Amino acid sequence: MVRSLSIWLHSTSLSWAARGGLPWLWPLCETLHFIGMAMLIGIVGLLDLRMLGFVKGLPLRPLQRLLPWGVAGFVLNMITGVVFYAGDPFQYIDNKVFWLKIAFIALAGVNVLLFYATGLSRRVDEVGAGEDVPGAARVVAAASLFLWFGVLYWGRMLPFLGGAF
Amino acid sequence: MDLLRAIEASNFSTWVRESGSIWSYPTIIFFHSVGLAIIVGLSTAIDLRVLGFAPGIPVGPMEKLFPIMWAGFWVNAVSGLFLTMADAPAMLTSWLFLLKMAIIGLALVTMASMKRELFRKPTRGDVMSGTAKALALTSLVLWTGAITAGRLTAYLGPSADIKGTP
Repeated sequence: MVRSLSIWLHSTSLSWAARGGLPWLWPLCETLHFIGMAMLIGIVGLLDLRMLGFVKGLPLRPLQRLLPWGVAGFVLNMITGVVFYAGDPFQYIDNKVFWLKIAFIALAGVNVLLFYATGLSRRVDEVGAGEDVPGAARVVAAASLFLWFGVLYWGRMLPFLGGAF
Repeated sequence: MDLLRAIEASNFSTWVRESGSIWSYPTIIFFHSVGLAIIVGLSTAIDLRVLGFAPGIPVGPMEKLFPIMWAGFWVNAVSGLFLTMADAPAMLTSWLFLLKMAIIGLALVTMASMKRELFRKPTRGDVMSGTAKALALTSLVLWTGAITAGRLTAYLGPSADIKGTP
């Protein structure tokens, strides 16, 4: 399925544009990918740091109001990521480093799901300035930091360990 | 120029650029991205708060984020120095690289001014001054510029080859 999807993607005009048909598209998307990364890791990382007990003066309910900006960073990176993939699917399709990156993103997604589905997010919402979050939320926060910096690591390693650009 | 070539030819620069070791160029550039995420990401969070998004967040405790942001900066100053040494003649004669340095300089001045503006005593509390808002906007524009210029420097110098830039 991934292969047929990749073959189709490669035949699209998006792929042509990303491959160099539009010469500035690739560097532009790289730049946006880094901006999205900073938004995502900055906002999510700030929440994680707070849950781990740093900057405890920040109450969690208003802090979570920044989350849409982190989500926006993630969406920006999904879109630009699709552009990269469409540009040259075959440098990623059998690429262990690429799939490690995808796996880490998926695990980070599961981590977020658990945070909301278990009701942990509602308990965290009630945590005011100077108070500690439940232990389980600390675990989620530590996992989140590890996974997102892991995603950054595998992404950064794509040219070096993965032979992709 | 001779000095720049000597730096580029030094054992350390050659190792960074040509050793193929995972601990050389790849690890250094990974740390450069980590530092970027920390300083730009946390700056963005503060800027958004100052601009009036998430107004319920008390600003006072955010002062504690500044040492973390400066740690991100130092990670990038050191990793950036190593990356620059590996491509010294191409980088230090490139207007793009020098522009990036200038933008980062301005961004750091903006960051320091923001800290003074937000946390000077007596504190203004959670009411944001026009100055603070102008600094927040400036900060967002400058960091966007720094990332853009930084991404484009990846296409300069001999190291561009090992990054496989298309």
